[in-house]
Amino acid sequence: MERRSFIKGLGALPAIGLLGAGSVNLLAKEKKAPKGKNAISFKKALAVVTDGKGAKESAKVKLIVPEIAENGAVVPVKISVDEPIENVKSIHILTTKNSNARCADVFLSPRNGRAYFATRIKLGGTQEVVAVAVLKNGTAIMAKKSVKVTIGGCG
Amino acid sequence: MAKRKSIIKIKPRRYKVGDIVKVDFIVIHPMETGMRKDKKTGKIKPMHYINEVKFYFNDELFTTILPWETVSTNPYFSINMKVTGPGVIKVVYKDNLGEVHEKSKKVKPKG
Repeated sequence: MERRSFIKGLGALPAIGLLGAGSVNLLAKEKKAPKGKNAISFKKALAVVTDGKGAKESAKVKLIVPEIAENGAVVPVKISVDEPIENVKSIHILTTKNSNARCADVFLSPRNGRAYFATRIKLGGTQEVVAVAVLKNGTAIMAKKSVKVTIGGCG
Repeated sequence: MAKRKSIIKIKPRRYKVGDIVKVDFIVIHPMETGMRKDKKTGKIKPMHYINEVKFYFNDELFTTILPWETVSTNPYFSINMKVTGPGVIKVVYKDNLGEVHEKSKKVKPKG
């Protein structure tokens, strides 16, 4: 009997070991993602960009992003605003879940001819990309689209 | 100061006075977020990103871009410009470690 129980015990040991290792891994995953020095939440970033007034969704802002991004490190973004260039002061690209919600701030002038901007950004996971256009009279309009990311690109 | 490669492209290649052209600007730059670890040493790589890009036409500032570290490696920026005559486009870019570089390209409208 002793021998039998000893063997049973041997079988149970690795199982406990595995469980222990698994729970440690789970704990490690629950730790919050590291935050960079420029970390800012989406709400704060939107308030900074629009002077605390907030932005209205409008069809005048055209945002072109892929629906599914295979690689989060390179996501092409194109923005154009259907307003005369004299009325557009700046264009901003924001994201909802990156640790730094801001991507780029573009300040335009009448020489641009048309309010257009394109770049490539990093996305840490599936989230929304928001394009905000601030007009000369102080109001802000925006457009947003969600992007599904299969491999994150930040960190 | 490290050397940086950059390129300015004007699209389309043939344009006239009064046309609105696309100006593409690409830099070879790591754009480090400050959150990645070096696989060999295990230390966190310090933040290193371009934080200001200014476009000049004949020494007149017309566009300022303030990127953050969330812009991809080897960043690409594209804007529009109205051609009012021959001249030079100059792009001055800075990063958070104090590097300043510039690149220029001639504008030659035809017809």
